[in-house]
Amino acid sequence: MMTLLPILGEPRHFALWERGLFVGLVAASVYGFWRRFGPILGNILQSKKDPDFRLFPIGKRVWDFAWEVLLQAKVIRERPLAGVAHALVFWAFCAFALVTLNHCAVIFGLGFLDPAGRAGRLYFDFAAVFAIGCAAGIVVLFVRRFLVRPKWLGELSWGSGLVALLIFALMSTYLAAFFVTEPGSAVQALWWAHTLTLLAFLLLIPHTKHLHLVLSPFTVFFSRGEFAHIPPLSGDEDFGLVAGRDLTRLVNLQAYSCVECGRCMEHCPANATGKQLNPKEIILGLRGYLNEFGPRSEELLLGKYNTQEAAFECTTCGACEFQCPVGIEHVPILVGLRRGAVNTGTWENDYGAKLFLALERGSNSLGMSTTERDKFLEKHELPIFDGTQEYCLWLGCIGAYDPRGREIVLALVRVMRHLGASFGVLRKEKCTGDPVRRLGNDLLFQQLAEANLEALAQNRVKKIITICPHCVRTIQEDWKEFGTPPEVEHHSEFLARFASQLPSVQNQEKIVFHDPCYLGRYRNVYDEPRQIAALAGDLVEAPRSRERSFCCGAGGGLAFLGEEKGDRVSQVRAAELVATGAGVVAAACPFCNTMFRDALAARGEGVPELLDIAQLVARGLPEEQ
Amino acid sequence: MSVLLVLEESGGKIKRASWEALVAASKLGPAQDVSAVVIGAQTEALAAEAAAKPVGKVVRVEHPLLALYTADGFSIALHQLIQNQSSTKWVVFPHTYQVRDYAPALACRMGQVLIGDVTGIEDGPIFTRQLLQGRLNGSYRHSGNGPCFVSVQAGAFRPDSNIDALDANPGAGPAPIEVFAPMLEAAQIRTKPSEPFRESAQAVDLGSAQRIVSVGRGIKGAENLPLIEALAGALGAELAASRPICDNGWLPMERQVGSSGQTVAPKLYLAVGISGAIQHLVGMKGSQCIVAINKDPDAPIFEVADYGIVGDLFDVVPALTEAVKAAKQ
Amino acid sequence: MKIVVAIKQVPDRDAPVRIAANAKWIEERELQWAMNEPDAYALEEALQLKEKHGGEVIVLSAGPERVGSTIREALAKGADRAIHIVCDDLGSRDALGVARLLAEAIRPENPDLVLTGLQSEDLGLGQTGVILAELLGLPHATLILHVEKTDAGLKVKRELEEGWFQSIEMPLPAVLTMQSGGNKLRYATLMGIKRAKTKELRAVNAAELGAEAAPVVTLEQIAVPKKQKSTQILGGSAKEAAAALVEKLKTEARVL
Repeated sequence: MMTLLPILGEPRHFALWERGLFVGLVAASVYGFWRRFGPILGNILQSKKDPDFRLFPIGKRVWDFAWEVLLQAKVIRERPLAGVAHALVFWAFCAFALVTLNHCAVIFGLGFLDPAGRAGRLYFDFAAVFAIGCAAGIVVLFVRRFLVRPKWLGELSWGSGLVALLIFALMSTYLAAFFVTEPGSAVQALWWAHTLTLLAFLLLIPHTKHLHLVLSPFTVFFSRGEFAHIPPLSGDEDFGLVAGRDLTRLVNLQAYSCVECGRCMEHCPANATGKQLNPKEIILGLRGYLNEFGPRSEELLLGKYNTQEAAFECTTCGACEFQCPVGIEHVPILVGLRRGAVNTGTWENDYGAKLFLALERGSNSLGMSTTERDKFLEKHELPIFDGTQEYCLWLGCIGAYDPRGREIVLALVRVMRHLGASFGVLRKEKCTGDPVRRLGNDLLFQQLAEANLEALAQNRVKKIITICPHCVRTIQEDWKEFGTPPEVEHHSEFLARFASQLPSVQNQEKIVFHDPCYLGRYRNVYDEPRQIAALAGDLVEAPRSRERSFCCGAGGGLAFLGEEKGDRVSQVRAAELVATGAGVVAAACPFCNTMFRDALAARGEGVPELLDIAQLVARGLPEEQ
Repeated sequence: MSVLLVLEESGGKIKRASWEALVAASKLGPAQDVSAVVIGAQTEALAAEAAAKPVGKVVRVEHPLLALYTADGFSIALHQLIQNQSSTKWVVFPHTYQVRDYAPALACRMGQVLIGDVTGIEDGPIFTRQLLQGRLNGSYRHSGNGPCFVSVQAGAFRPDSNIDALDANPGAGPAPIEVFAPMLEAAQIRTKPSEPFRESAQAVDLGSAQRIVSVGRGIKGAENLPLIEALAGALGAELAASRPICDNGWLPMERQVGSSGQTVAPKLYLAVGISGAIQHLVGMKGSQCIVAINKDPDAPIFEVADYGIVGDLFDVVPALTEAVKAAKQ
Repeated sequence: MKIVVAIKQVPDRDAPVRIAANAKWIEERELQWAMNEPDAYALEEALQLKEKHGGEVIVLSAGPERVGSTIREALAKGADRAIHIVCDDLGSRDALGVARLLAEAIRPENPDLVLTGLQSEDLGLGQTGVILAELLGLPHATLILHVEKTDAGLKVKRELEEGWFQSIEMPLPAVLTMQSGGNKLRYATLMGIKRAKTKELRAVNAAELGAEAAPVVTLEQIAVPKKQKSTQILGGSAKEAAAALVEKLKTEARVL
């Protein structure tokens, strides 16, 4: 049998006082651990239950747990260097489980892994490989945090430094034991060094972000039901996340799991453009709140630790939630905080009030008269949905009232007619309620959802196609709370099914496709729109694309609010798209389209053309259509 | 005298709207049956102005307590006058803010209801007024005894030429003038009005501007703004802009009209070189009258405009400024 | 301050205008209803006065059962209690008849202030508030944008024509008709709606109030006006078009 390493040195004999001391120290360490962890666990378990949490279907949870926790796939993929280093540390901890148990058993003569035996040697050598990896990994992480100091990691954390040293010490004391040939005081000393390091580490866990060692496997498991899922309100007294008493078990578990890695912050479009919002600080703010006020407090959540201003700068793009390696769900937390402010009327914002009042009285978010929509339908002789057609083409607010949005609709209509699809447009539509849902106005959203569901049922609508990913999401997911919505898909998904029947216009144009947040991260649709765009030219990719696509800035109801602070998110993204050298920016969302139109226009002459994928296809159709 | 025509003054002269009410009153009775009423503390000059018009007589309702308009003062005084002129069948007013403030109360005192903001008078008489913000016309009829109170919408009756023709009083000299002194005590006047004032000129308040000239990307550069400013000046209008103009710093952000700027609903909105994207439309679609000037005949702004000129703004705007100035003379 | 706000439920602004068979009013079957917007501003002013000076805001509305939804909206926005004058034939009353109904309901309340919107979005008479003041024997002012409480009563800001304003001092109790746009309206909140469920909504039949109904002025018939709104493109040279535009603005649109 190959032996890589010498035999691991292990003490043979322990004095009674040593055993006593060991027991005492373990007790002290466990006590110290529990003193901090107990209240945290209490804060979590004593909180409100999550109203619509279902353990089943469990398949996705198990899969995500295996992929993200055991294989560390998300940690590695999104930040490779740090990710691999961390993975090594994590796997070492897993591998060391038996080593550590054995280590503690040894002092009572109960060691079950014989360092000289075949199984024992195999296992200890196996663990040693991981120990080396771990030590290397922890050095990389230490250098990154304390010497390179990327801003995502925030202020220097001495707790992190101490833990890093302890981990290094754990690995060193373990490896050193291989090279102590003679049993004696050296072996004993090493054993104690390892033990003390271990017990110090245990004690420190709940006092630092290394609490995630205990919590995050659970957090990932419990969180991976859906993406950006906004829970229903529970009962008459629930207005969202107003105060501590509204925080649920999952939210609190997530707040305590944050490892402060700053991946959320790194990918946040608001944070990248100088706004106050920092998703990491939102979560840490909740943690600070819980530590100071506890989970049953009446103190406002948007107060000492988090501000209303920050909460309302979020576009709900989901990049934060997508990036988080420990399963924190930022989007429902931000929407929850907004709900707490809006449902109780403490959010005072002129533009927000204007949006809400427009929808209280009228049918669309833009406050336009429905006669404008009627005129549009009439002028272009759009077929009216009467229950006999297969598809209902849902225009949405921008598709019905915005001149450019209408052009997208008309292009899609041309394509659908070319495909011979059976479709109609409803005589009347009410806004799906996406902006008010994301802004947290549950009263208005319920009214809109219920009115729409009733109208759709009355009109016998079974399948919806729409140009707006926000409409798709709201209809399919958010309306579920109030009824059974019809099937709905985005026009890119519909067109992709018939791609073979669509004309190809290869004119060597370089096209860069911008992934809308609500189509990409929210719906996992990345290839279909590319398939369609590719019919019109050669695709190039923006540096941040697919799951990393950088928001256009319109989501979360922000398109309806006033001027942003700092740089405009849309302009930052537009610059990135222009820099690809593409001649055409392909969009698949009317909001993105609106934002980029302004942003590109601000850049002056010589900017790429901005077209929806439907328009790209329609350009290739024969003229008589 | 079956018709009592209540005239309103502004700055010592009778308001034009009052003469339009006279044209309307002619549908209810011949000129010699019309008593024109002037109200105030010193009404000699006003009465002389009225007497030169084709009316049967002029009544000066004069009292020191009527120096400033108050609803109580005017209601009480006119009530007494109407009771005094017992043959009155019709009481006609111009539909002004002032009339809206007291005429309904006056009518109520006499168990009547004002038929307000009338746009047409047909045989019957049937009075036409607008309903549902102009989407419908309603025909009203007065019943029962007692005088019928009617107020007439400004500009509804005859175009200017007929108003001017009123000055040509055929043959007869000025109408006779009477003085009527109502009985008024200070305690009866319960409100104390101040002198009228304007808001401070510094703040840009597009929201209360009656007329707005708004400029978009068609203007091409800040150096061309004086052209637009001249038009705004001629119209007595506030200057506004779509977002790109403010983004470029050609005009301050407070002048931005649109979804991320101000929402306005003036009587007149002139969109110059603005294409009409939704972010701008939502900020001005409530305007009473929208005029668009754009060289692109397909510009979406024309969809919401009441009047449009398809042309180069660098030609149209100066021509318009001249035409406006000429019309004001 | 005890403030009564009289509000009216009117057809939604986007309502399809279909004339009923008897040509006396529009088809109401498929209409959506909303709070008259100037009344919403009156309500907002009342709520702000209550927030500043304490007191009670009572919402009052006359009409058929459907009016209840608008009353509840007012309660949700912060009014303390409501009175619904149940009346199925409000349209058969003239402005005086309606004001009499309201006056009978208001009299026993003895409020400090009565607020209502300047005019309604359907009939647009703009008289109910003024007649109400006359019937209640109270001083009034119209087209009010701001209300300030003073030791002697009120100081209000009134809108005049052509961009002028005026302030008026008056004693309490008084009646004011509110112009739109003086304040920022508040939106209805979930919390407001939930609280509204516990607030008092007293219904009283129009007949019980004993207000005389025989109208002096009747709306005999309605019709669609001949000229519909459409875009007039003025052609010709720049000078010709400019001249034509000025003419239209003066005579047709009457904004010059």
